[in-house]
Amino acid sequence: MKLKYSLFSRREFLNGLLGGGLLAFFATLMGPVVRFVFPPYKEPDEVKLPAADYSGLQPHEAKGFAWGAKPGILKKAGDGSLVAFVAVCSHLDCNVSYLPNDRKFYCACHQGWYDENGKNIAGPPPSPLRRLAVTVEGDSLVIKKQG
Amino acid sequence: MNKIRAWINDRLGVAELSKFGMKKDVPLHSHTIWYYTGSSILLFMGIQVVTGVMLAFYYNPTIKDANASVARIMTEIPLGWIIRSIHSWSATCMIAVVIIHLLSIAFTKAYRAPREATWMTGVLLLAASLAFGFTGYLLPWDDLSLAATKVGTDIPKSIPVVGAWVTSLLRGGEDVTGDTISRFFIVHVCVLPLAIFAILGIHLFLVQRHGMSVPLKAGRGPEKNDALPFWPNFILRESAVWLILFGVLVTAAIFLAPSLGPAANLMAPAPAGIKPEWYFLFMFQTLKLFPSRILGLNGELVAVAVMGAGFLLVLLLPLLDDRPAERKGRVIRYAVYATFLYTIALTIWSLL
Repeated sequence: MKLKYSLFSRREFLNGLLGGGLLAFFATLMGPVVRFVFPPYKEPDEVKLPAADYSGLQPHEAKGFAWGAKPGILKKAGDGSLVAFVAVCSHLDCNVSYLPNDRKFYCACHQGWYDENGKNIAGPPPSPLRRLAVTVEGDSLVIKKQG
Repeated sequence: MNKIRAWINDRLGVAELSKFGMKKDVPLHSHTIWYYTGSSILLFMGIQVVTGVMLAFYYNPTIKDANASVARIMTEIPLGWIIRSIHSWSATCMIAVVIIHLLSIAFTKAYRAPREATWMTGVLLLAASLAFGFTGYLLPWDDLSLAATKVGTDIPKSIPVVGAWVTSLLRGGEDVTGDTISRFFIVHVCVLPLAIFAILGIHLFLVQRHGMSVPLKAGRGPEKNDALPFWPNFILRESAVWLILFGVLVTAAIFLAPSLGPAANLMAPAPAGIKPEWYFLFMFQTLKLFPSRILGLNGELVAVAVMGAGFLLVLLLPLLDDRPAERKGRVIRYAVYATFLYTIALTIWSLL
């Protein structure tokens, strides 16, 4: 049957079908490619540290540990309790350091400051340092995600 | 001999190409000097290809060996230190000349019709050059390169919806790790070269297709019809420019070789006084200036939005300034001056 009016010719329709089909075929191949380039990542549920390594900490002193691929800082607060932070700046992901004399955390990348409780107090950081929960189980310290 | 030449020509059509080379000429006027910037970029690019291949003979893109293999290049491989130094200096020179090339075209308004696509491919080439610089900076894997890469790859994270995804794509995971080194390496030595050669091919084709742009003022002068044959006159002058640039490059490379810090430690705090390469300094300073909250929005997001908009404006400049080529555009000229001054001022500020 020949239509009286048509938006496009038979040739254009077939061209579109072939071109669109090829495009759709290659588009579906992108799925596995995209999946491949993102490796799986799982944050540690908990990290166990030998308590003996951290027993010498004085109040307001801190020592590092590994929280997966990120650095963590374990600090003894003024009242003797242990607090832990992910030592990564909330601004642009640089590793922060703890300055025991100032009792502050400092990010050297863009001069960001946090107080000893990890609260952002100066510079560009938009939010506090992430806190981790610390519990003592036998002779190890167990660091867990908070909440 | 003639027979061989004819045989080759029948198959490859070399005669047409050489005829084009003989016929091509370069307009001669008070702004002719800017025409040399394009070929100077090609010189540095060629040096990057050769020295880059040489460095890759010895470089190991793994978290365990990356730093040590660069140290080996610097200390054990014959002339290794100077090859790395030339690669590093040539990168700096290439980006500097790309910027000068772009500015000369912005100031002489050579991006106007029909050369819009030439400008846009040029801006993409600048972006590719910066991407080369960014990916190459991580490869020596010392404190500075780790901190710079952490910051650089974290910037997209503030973009809503896709940001975290982009950061994870760049890093090959949640954090900068050994996977990031292999990813940056293959992008630096394979993906970006393929991209830059493809875009450069289009760019050079368009330059030949539309011919060299002659600035308005120059075209109106008494020297209107002056032109220099491309071969051999222009090539001769260009060779002189190349030799001078090569001399400057090698001198800088010998006396100011890049340093190599101790291998990066993922757990160590960022070193004091980190700074990116000079061509990212204005962005670095801009990020520092933005407070954490602006009008209730994340300051970082605002900074990223402003810089993204800036890049788009530069890319689409020919569409914004689409006046006929005969007319001057004062607003655009002042905008270009203002952007240029802002960039210079923030770069200097970040160095103070």
